Amino acid sequence: MASLVEYRWRRYGGGNVDFATPHAFRREGRCSLVRVDVSKGATLGSSLRVDGLVRRFGSLTALDNLSFGVPAGQVVGFLGPNGAGKTTTMRAVFGLTDLDAGTVTWNGEAVTQRQRRRFGYMPEERGLYPNMVVSDQVEYLGRLHGMSALDASRETASWLERLELGERAHSKVEVLSHGNQQRVQLAAALVHSPDLLVLDEPLAGLDPTGVDIMGSVLKERARAGCSVLFSSHQLDQVEDLCDSVVIIGHGRLVASGTVDELTTSGPRRLVVRVEGDRDARWAQSVAGVTMSELDGGAARLVLSEDVDSDAVLRAAMGAGRVTEFVFQRRKLSEVFREALV
Amino acid sequence: MRWLAYALVAGALVVRLVWRRRWRRGRLRHRLTNFVPFTGDIGLVASREVRERVRGRIFRIGTIFILLVVAAAIVIPTFNKSRPTAEHVGVVGVLTGSLRNQILSTAKGVGTTFTMTSEATVAVARKELKSGAVDVVIVNGDQLVIDRAFAASDASTTAQFVPSLAVRIGQYRALRAARLSLSQTATLTHARAIPVTSLIRNSPTPSRGAAGSTIIGLVLLFTMLSQYNTWILMGVMEEKSSRVVEVLLATVRPIQLLAGKVLGIGTVAIAQATLVVLFAVGLANAVGSSFLHGTAPLALASTLVWLVLGFGFYCWVYAAAGSMAERQDQVQSLALPLSLPMLFGYIMSITTASSGSASVPFKILAYFPPTAPFAMPILVSFGVVTWWQFTASALISVVSTYYVAHFASTVYQRAILRTGRRVKIREVLSSTSQ
Repeated sequence: MASLVEYRWRRYGGGNVDFATPHAFRREGRCSLVRVDVSKGATLGSSLRVDGLVRRFGSLTALDNLSFGVPAGQVVGFLGPNGAGKTTTMRAVFGLTDLDAGTVTWNGEAVTQRQRRRFGYMPEERGLYPNMVVSDQVEYLGRLHGMSALDASRETASWLERLELGERAHSKVEVLSHGNQQRVQLAAALVHSPDLLVLDEPLAGLDPTGVDIMGSVLKERARAGCSVLFSSHQLDQVEDLCDSVVIIGHGRLVASGTVDELTTSGPRRLVVRVEGDRDARWAQSVAGVTMSELDGGAARLVLSEDVDSDAVLRAAMGAGRVTEFVFQRRKLSEVFREALV
Repeated sequence: MRWLAYALVAGALVVRLVWRRRWRRGRLRHRLTNFVPFTGDIGLVASREVRERVRGRIFRIGTIFILLVVAAAIVIPTFNKSRPTAEHVGVVGVLTGSLRNQILSTAKGVGTTFTMTSEATVAVARKELKSGAVDVVIVNGDQLVIDRAFAASDASTTAQFVPSLAVRIGQYRALRAARLSLSQTATLTHARAIPVTSLIRNSPTPSRGAAGSTIIGLVLLFTMLSQYNTWILMGVMEEKSSRVVEVLLATVRPIQLLAGKVLGIGTVAIAQATLVVLFAVGLANAVGSSFLHGTAPLALASTLVWLVLGFGFYCWVYAAAGSMAERQDQVQSLALPLSLPMLFGYIMSITTASSGSASVPFKILAYFPPTAPFAMPILVSFGVVTWWQFTASALISVVSTYYVAHFASTVYQRAILRTGRRVKIREVLSSTSQ
């Protein structure tokens, strides 16, 4: 495995450059040396870590000793109810809010202004100049992240095409629809090929096509070695997109882990459908069984550890002909609700 | 004059045509988009400000409007500056050569020329006066006859010429009656005034042209300071309300963002002011205006210097105010108290410039940084300020600007990320965090 790890120059304009001499480095311009796992195309060791974050606003404690990490090459869903402290945490990563305690580290070191240039940020309340032309705006933000004028121009054109905004490149932001403005914001966060991408509610207000594009972009960036942290309330989409999930409530960590770990853990889920039975009252008579959802006659049941599934099947057959009897993983929405109880 | 106007219009059309063609081809657009006159993060922010402001319709229309106002202020007075018409003098009786010289000297003294006609009789001369063929009749060298009355406010050449001629002929006659020889009389009547030496070295004499250019400079200074400070205020407020500041501050420090904005808008201000001054100087020379006579060039240069110093002093305060607002109505209520010192200095300066003399309290205002940008150029135009006084006032302004900028940047850094409602200065000063 070690033989698959190489050092490469990463150009700020995007993409890795094959191992180069110092002369080539100077010729290439603005590059950074990164460690690359060639077998996966992932940058190793570039991870974000927040430890013991505490942030108080008067009597309100927005963050209460919050700790978690965002490994390289992963898409991490950042979940929590409204007011849980997600936005405050993301702002803390960029130094946009002062902390009463705690640290934010990148590769084990405190985050500096220089490192933040390699981060991409999409705030919850979109931040764009309304009167500025789309391409100029993305280029400008790319240049603030350290890109050369040429790279910024090239990458801007590339990302606008990719996000289906090529025809609107010379329009002012204010004339775009909400969804397109969101895509511009994403382009601005991506234009400099960041090592860390922090997106606050990136899926809100997007049409299905937009969600698909956003999803594919985030996965692609993660495959390229980028650490991706994004918050969302659309849990089904989070489940599809994310490798792992962090759930917070009242500023505290309540659950974290890979999607597989979280959805396969906990009580068993059983979906039972009985022909002609729309309300699944039979399930109430089975001890240790609670109904999680009822969707068109299909009852989604939560089974305690000591419940025998054969007993459940018999109870269902007593109510009529059983047409569906399937064990399922926990949905992320169930993980979310149960974690916050 | 007419050809100059034609040339200017033709030149403007050609430039416009070339500009549009190149813009459509995209070359100019690309160059402008990538034009970065400054370096570093502050430079990037400043360059964006320059590009966006110069591209804006408000800037272009505003600049054209200012140039038109300046052109009108320079050119229109030259229309009213009519050439002096010759005075027509009728003579009844004999006119000696000496007396003729007295008429010539008088005409020179009031800046005119004269024609002379001989009238046969007083009656004929009166008819000529009635018909307007002559302006004044000299009867036998000892009486002047006119056909009008001169009011005290009458500034016509004839109103100056006739009384002067009466005095001069009277003096001539008195000297002759004292039995002085012709040469002695000539020596006395052609006596020149002795020179007046000012204790202030090299101080050019204030002139009407200088007063006019000073007032125009003052109006432009006030207009530009108001305009550019409002840009700062609105720019900061818009960045905050659109939340773009959050994206920017994820990359650059607040002080860099603020400094870039000030540098960018300041550059546009200086460029526009320089353009206006160059245009004014060029046009004044072309039309032979008195706009730049006397102390006017010095006053204009001083106005430019104080535009920079005044912008430097006020821009930080306006930026801090902008960081505390999130809506247009909040901006207006914040801008009003900030504009009061500027308005006070402006009104005091306009009043003083019109009166022609500076009072002691006004001279004190020239050393007070909020009012100095308006008061000091007036003192320069009056020629009542020495170089070290000017420098002292500028130094006071620079030092004050340092402390104002320090305070304002602290307010800006603490207020810019506080959203949701208008931030109060007490809240900002009592805490250190967002």
